Amino acid sequence: MANAEATAEPRGRRKNRADEAAGRGGAWFPNWYWPSFSLPGIIWLLALFVMPFYTVLSVAFGTVEPLFRSPLPVYQPWWWSFATFSETTQKFYAGNAVYQEPLIRTFIYVIAASTICLVLGYAVAYYTARYAGKYRVLILVALVSPFWISYLMRIYAWQSLLQADGYVNDVWSIFAAPTNWLSGKPLTVILGLVYGYIPFMILPLFGSLDRIDQRMLEAGRDLGASPARTFWRVTLPLSKPAILAGLVIVSLPMFGDYYTNDLLGTQRTSMLGNLIANSVFQAGQGPEAGSLTVVLMVIVVVPMLYYLRETKRAAESL
Amino acid sequence: MSDAVLDRSAEQTTRVRKGIRASYFRNPWRKPRMLQALTVGYLLWSLMPVVIAVVFSFNSGRSRSSWQGFSLRWWNGDQFDSLFTDEALRQAMFHTFRLAIPTAIVAVGIGTAFAIGIDRWRGRPARGANFLMLLSFVLPEMILGVSLFLVFTFLLDNVMKLGTGAQWLGLITFQMSYAVVIVRARLLSIGPEYEEAAMDLGARPGQSMRRVLLPLLSPAILASVAVVFADTVDDFVIVRFLSGAADTEPLSVKIYSAARASPTPAVNAAATVMLVSTMTVIAIAYLLYRRYGRGQHGADVSSFTQL
Amino acid sequence: MAGKHPMDGSPRRWSRRQFLTRAAGGAIAVPSMAAVLAACDKPGTAPSGNGSTVTDIPIANPDDRVELPLNGTAITTDTPIEAGATLQVYNWDAYMYKAVLKAFEEEYGVTVEWTTFNNMEEGIQKLISGQVQPDVFFPTTDYISRLVQGTDDGPLIQPLNHELIPNLSANVWPSFSDPGPYYDVGAQYTVPYTIYTTGVAYRRDRIDDADADAQGYEMLWNPEHTGEIAYYDSYRDAIGMALIRNGGTDPNTGDPAEITEAKEAILEIVNDLEGSLRINGTYAKLPEGEFTVSQSWSGDIVGAKWYLPKGTGQDVLGFWYPESEPGLIGNDTIVIPTTSQSPRLAHEFLNFFLDEKWGYMNFADWNGYQPPFTSIDPSSLIDDKVVAPTLSRAVVTEEMFETALIQSQLTPEVDKLWLDAWSEIQAGG
Repeated sequence: MANAEATAEPRGRRKNRADEAAGRGGAWFPNWYWPSFSLPGIIWLLALFVMPFYTVLSVAFGTVEPLFRSPLPVYQPWWWSFATFSETTQKFYAGNAVYQEPLIRTFIYVIAASTICLVLGYAVAYYTARYAGKYRVLILVALVSPFWISYLMRIYAWQSLLQADGYVNDVWSIFAAPTNWLSGKPLTVILGLVYGYIPFMILPLFGSLDRIDQRMLEAGRDLGASPARTFWRVTLPLSKPAILAGLVIVSLPMFGDYYTNDLLGTQRTSMLGNLIANSVFQAGQGPEAGSLTVVLMVIVVVPMLYYLRETKRAAESL
Repeated sequence: MSDAVLDRSAEQTTRVRKGIRASYFRNPWRKPRMLQALTVGYLLWSLMPVVIAVVFSFNSGRSRSSWQGFSLRWWNGDQFDSLFTDEALRQAMFHTFRLAIPTAIVAVGIGTAFAIGIDRWRGRPARGANFLMLLSFVLPEMILGVSLFLVFTFLLDNVMKLGTGAQWLGLITFQMSYAVVIVRARLLSIGPEYEEAAMDLGARPGQSMRRVLLPLLSPAILASVAVVFADTVDDFVIVRFLSGAADTEPLSVKIYSAARASPTPAVNAAATVMLVSTMTVIAIAYLLYRRYGRGQHGADVSSFTQL
Repeated sequence: MAGKHPMDGSPRRWSRRQFLTRAAGGAIAVPSMAAVLAACDKPGTAPSGNGSTVTDIPIANPDDRVELPLNGTAITTDTPIEAGATLQVYNWDAYMYKAVLKAFEEEYGVTVEWTTFNNMEEGIQKLISGQVQPDVFFPTTDYISRLVQGTDDGPLIQPLNHELIPNLSANVWPSFSDPGPYYDVGAQYTVPYTIYTTGVAYRRDRIDDADADAQGYEMLWNPEHTGEIAYYDSYRDAIGMALIRNGGTDPNTGDPAEITEAKEAILEIVNDLEGSLRINGTYAKLPEGEFTVSQSWSGDIVGAKWYLPKGTGQDVLGFWYPESEPGLIGNDTIVIPTTSQSPRLAHEFLNFFLDEKWGYMNFADWNGYQPPFTSIDPSSLIDDKVVAPTLSRAVVTEEMFETALIQSQLTPEVDKLWLDAWSEIQAGG
């Protein structure tokens, strides 16, 4: 390359822009240098992330083959039929409103589970960041490990424990009659969601709480604030970006969760994800599955955009 | 030392004046017993079920909930149903690793390049690319699973069928964002000064990248490899939608199907294998991190956990 | 746009960035364009491809027997057995005995790979889309005519060569081989796998036999068992039983009122009685004590004995099936898809499972699902301890097929009614 030869031979070399920039004390790269790093990733995402979503639209607005009633996607937008889509969305509010219950349930479960994750996770992260002392590394490893352990295995482990003859009932029957935990109890599903996603909340919170300057807290105390006040006025606001990040990382995937309910609940506690999973393989329900996926996408994208705006603002203010 | 003295006297004073309970709550330097109990309780709640599940893989009966004695029956004892004799489970084990290793390598490769590019690139398209990547990070996996299933069933019907190839493509797409997020966080804390200094000293861009930036990024890269590996071993939404015949079902799908049918402790054994393999990769990554990251700023466990 | 831009007409110089973005756009557009060009006609209006050679097969039911048209030729008798092949079997989970599969592998020196599906709809979808290309498939009877007709890409199952399956005429009931079943007169495409009735299984340690007899189907709707009821996660069986329980006589009805009533009944189980819809309620969970009562196929309860925990006797399981009124009865079949890479070996596989010894072992030592063999004497099954005495109602006899209710194929319109009701049930409430 011209560059290499230029720097290797000091005599009679051609001046190029890199050398000029180096002489100026900065670095110069051609316009396309940095974007080319991102290019493979961008192409990949466009091909396997954006285009598949177009296929979802094609199936949602497509038709159904008459014999086996398998989905027939329609790729040309001018032949898209919105009949199934409107029929599906109407199931959320009109007529029998069949899908209304699962939708409301999903929101309730996600909000409840996210809140529990936040409160519990914050307490644990706070303790680990501020008070753990010499056990810090140990606790940290223990906190991080569920993150590495398969979600499936953890929920499966709970399924074993919650069975009629499982250990939970063994302990529970000391206080009350053995209960059927797996017979469609919202509490089971919510706690299952909490169990599965709380590590995603703890890590960002810990990172943020860990970085809070000790001196700010001491200043607060020196100025006469009680521990509670210091927490409310100093710690909490400083950790706000992490709380927001944690809530987003935890709650958005929960909207599409279906396996927690599959393993720990019944049709009575079915969520939006279950509706989609059930209709994907059902004969004649392909367009409906596509429509439900579009609905889920819309539900998730709105908070996403809000979160991105917040982080952009935060990043710019750094 | 003096803190302890202060502790005692403040506590004692308040105790004398207001009683024991108030003395505990009023003391700003008290030990946080409630939080401590909460944290310990949380850790037990978090890890006990997994420990019990691992222990039950050694159950001699077929129950996962009532202990009937110790045996290796479900590991390799039973003629048809144990983990190492059941052909289907063994195949699933190999398939899990066949998916996880290439995915980890490719996803981290593309993701690291992406993160480096995004970090240095300025302008609208950069933010657009960043948005796209973040979208793939927070979107429920189910959306990606369903859309890729439809792509491979209809659009690319004659190009590639469902199966291992499709699973690789889907997994890399999904896991890429983890690598990007982790590497990007590290990039932000490094800043461009080191590379610029290297180039001031005469390094070419390629050299400065290879010898300055990448070693500085190595903790993040190792962490992403570990994360992506763990997440791929765990993944079953995408692999289930994109699986074809039985030989393209990894352990996670087998566990899921069995959990809905009639699981035996062999499933616990399979889950334990997944667990051990993930822990091994993490341990290796951490050891490499300690070895190469020595002396670097932030080379300790807490930065390893930064997302 | 009015006015020409000064730059128009002069050669453009694209910056690299523009080039990249436009190239990216083009790269995406190309495959989409290809798909577009390939499907230029509105789907559904284009003439169907050259694949399907048979069309419009009438819907079969026990009163309207159907002889399926031949959609191709069966393989010849002198086709050699594919040595060292891997036989792809596509079946429900836990439906075949691994020991029998192992014996087959050893006898022919081949490998058997078993892909499972959780419900028939999923199985059919993967078969149609070509994602799974099995050598042997186990469909329910209501899909046979559609599989024979196939899709635009061609038929999905191939005719059988009976000379390669001698056990069919030798061991199986004539009503399944010659003249053959109503859905496939002459048994040209199918051989039967298992026969079963659909009743209610219950724990005899929690429900008295006399009580069970008095309640019948109502056991599943009894509030006393709240939280301990299981029902099948299969729309034909679930809605079918609810129809009969509500007093209906036609398990293939298209009457919207009846279907709605059945749907409401099942929703009652799901919502008010905290029941769960699952496929393993009887054979795995009832023996463990997780449920008290569950909808059950006769084979599930007979095979449940293998899932009893240590120390629990077989007499804890009971099965109820109506005696004076007709109940539900059915059978599963084995077919050979057209995608089979080893059709000759597949024929051997069918023959193997129709073998007196191996078919019987599959049933007695694992499945619990009776095969329709002439060599099996239903009354001796109890004496031979294959079926526990408390499960005597689970034995299926040939006479039962004459009076019981059979679920046959539905027309697409009626099927849609059923499936809409089903998706409502799955959404809970």
